[in-house]
Amino acid sequence: MSLRTFILGLSATFGVAWLAIIVVPYLKMRDLAALPFPEEKATSAGIFIPKRSGRVTDGAKVYAENGCYLCHTQVVRPTYAGNDLYRPDWGGLKNDPDRGDTRRETNAYDFNGETFAQIGLMRMGPDLSNLGRRLEYLLAAGVNSEQWLYSHLYNPRANTELWNSTCPPHPFLFVNREVKGNPSDDALPIDAGPGRELVPDSDAKALISYLLSLKKDHPVPATLNFAPAKKNDEN
Amino acid sequence: MSSITSTTHDQDALLRAGIDRSLRHPVMFFLTSGAAWLAVSILLGVISAAKVHSPGFLSSCPLLTYGRVYPAHINALVYGWGMQAAFAVIIWLMARLSRKECTMAGTILTAGHVWNLGVTLGVAGILLGHGTGMPWMEFPSFAWPVLLVSYFAILIGSFIQFRVRKEGHVYISQWYLLAAMIWFPWIFITANTLLHCLPGHPVMAAGINAWFRSGMIFLFFTPVALGTAYYLAPKVTGRPVYSYSLAKLGFWSLAIIAPWAGMQKLVGAPIPYFMPYLGAAATSLLFVPACAAAVNTIRTMTSCPETLAASPALRFTVAGITGLIVLAIAAVLLNLPGSSLPLTQFSLSGYGFEILALYGFFSLVMFGATYFIVPRITCREWLSRRLIKIHFLFSVYGIIAVSLVALFGGLLQGGGQEDWQQPWAGAAAFAEPYAVAITFAWCLILFSNIFFFIHLALMWLRLGRRSSHPTLLVRAHGSSPHGEEGDIDNAGPGHATAH
Repeated sequence: MSLRTFILGLSATFGVAWLAIIVVPYLKMRDLAALPFPEEKATSAGIFIPKRSGRVTDGAKVYAENGCYLCHTQVVRPTYAGNDLYRPDWGGLKNDPDRGDTRRETNAYDFNGETFAQIGLMRMGPDLSNLGRRLEYLLAAGVNSEQWLYSHLYNPRANTELWNSTCPPHPFLFVNREVKGNPSDDALPIDAGPGRELVPDSDAKALISYLLSLKKDHPVPATLNFAPAKKNDEN
Repeated sequence: MSSITSTTHDQDALLRAGIDRSLRHPVMFFLTSGAAWLAVSILLGVISAAKVHSPGFLSSCPLLTYGRVYPAHINALVYGWGMQAAFAVIIWLMARLSRKECTMAGTILTAGHVWNLGVTLGVAGILLGHGTGMPWMEFPSFAWPVLLVSYFAILIGSFIQFRVRKEGHVYISQWYLLAAMIWFPWIFITANTLLHCLPGHPVMAAGINAWFRSGMIFLFFTPVALGTAYYLAPKVTGRPVYSYSLAKLGFWSLAIIAPWAGMQKLVGAPIPYFMPYLGAAATSLLFVPACAAAVNTIRTMTSCPETLAASPALRFTVAGITGLIVLAIAAVLLNLPGSSLPLTQFSLSGYGFEILALYGFFSLVMFGATYFIVPRITCREWLSRRLIKIHFLFSVYGIIAVSLVALFGGLLQGGGQEDWQQPWAGAAAFAEPYAVAITFAWCLILFSNIFFFIHLALMWLRLGRRSSHPTLLVRAHGSSPHGEEGDIDNAGPGHATAH
């Protein structure tokens, strides 16, 4: 076997796979066409573009830099691949006050505005695909999801319900500074010393607005809706 | 007749000694700095494993938060230790097998320093909070072109040696090493350009990343380790390779199957459905090339049981190949769609699988190669049989603990995750005892590798034993550390009259 035959052999065996699962799917998925919404759904006529509010790009960067993806996933698998959809608040809400059961699997449009989908490595913590909506729904009246997330980020175990959380604390995303005038709105409810307060820095703010943008509360067009047809629409 | 044979024999020995001398510093540089990176990586691994069960540990320091230490641990292991050990072995084996002295030692050493600079800056970048968030590619984006250029500078010489060698038989090790030398840049350039320079769809980017990790394991580390095992087994035992056709089967089935593997980590994510399932099928099918190579090398080594018992090189190699068999079985058992795949997709099993591949298989074979190569290029024998034994026992027990605990703990953890009727906190708590066990096992491995590094550094300083009697794992040379024969400095293994 000459070197040329050998290299040709390698190129053929590797190249076929390379073209079939990397290059062609990459090119095909590069510009996904916007999906039209059916006219009769008057809620949002036109095309389907899930909204991402806040500093999504900056926040996604902070998420990546601090390794959140190591323990948190962002994918709700269809039922043939896992049981994520059965959990009441992962892929939407089981009992959304406005729209009933909104749970759905992750679709390719959920990552709009990001460069790398943080599918995740391990689930040491819960899936975050629907974090924003879940917090809005679960938190008692009067608790702001932003405040809850700041406290969680500062020290997850401070919350008595999460006393054995394995999420690492991130005190370095907060600044301990002197109070000048009125205390800041986003100061943590923690004693930071006399005349001082603990406030999130710009990274923490970007991260929280990214996390709160992770929501599955948007109706999807029929072409992306794989939920079985419901017999009654009461739920 | 006999005088002609003895002249050829002498010329052969002189050629080998020349090759070894020409590569002394490049090979020792890669092995020693690789071993140092290995120790750093394992230290980071201990810290990150401890944080999984005690999140408050060292948490006030941003440099040491779990989310930065863990990627630093994996990247130091892959690029600091794994790639450098592979460089050392590739340049030495390719020179020996092509029977050409290395004429580019200066270039290789310079490029080796650049590589280390790239890895250092990359690891520092991750710890300082500039990681990219793409597993195994977390180095800030300036690092990959540096690594790529130094890669070419390090290995171009080996490629040229192969081209200009006297025509003849191409040995199995050369197939594997040449293939690894071609596959690595292909997957590395593909993944890095598509993810850093030409961003496409974010989910496809995650798919390419999963494919890249699998490719690094099965298209670079695996062929390098197998090429090494195919060299060491017949060389040390003095017996021919058990079966050449089995070797061919093993090589070409790896070349055909491995490029399709990897995307099973994205089952259920919105990419074309065939890709993750094809990945799962390919990963399971890797059982075939893994077993072909494992059976072949083990049959070769066991053909000479007394050498197998005495030689440190073979003992590590046989342990590494056993790791490959476990890896191949795990590849089948962990990737069955519909039963085990949903459990292992997001659990500790993934970590267990990667560590088993990188340490339990690849690194153990590299240690075997180190114990074989270093005495030849330094003309000194290993100082202490006991240090080698400590390295072996702690590494093997440690890696068995890390990988089995992670593989099977991960299955239980996955079971907890899939049990959607129970609250999530229960699933999260499943992993905790396994994390404690992993921390302890990494400590064992760290202990063994600190001694390995010291032993290696002493050898580079040429403080090894000056004896022509190799350091074996059985008591063949009396109780004196210099051997009772006392023939100090008469003929090192590189000397013309040595055997």
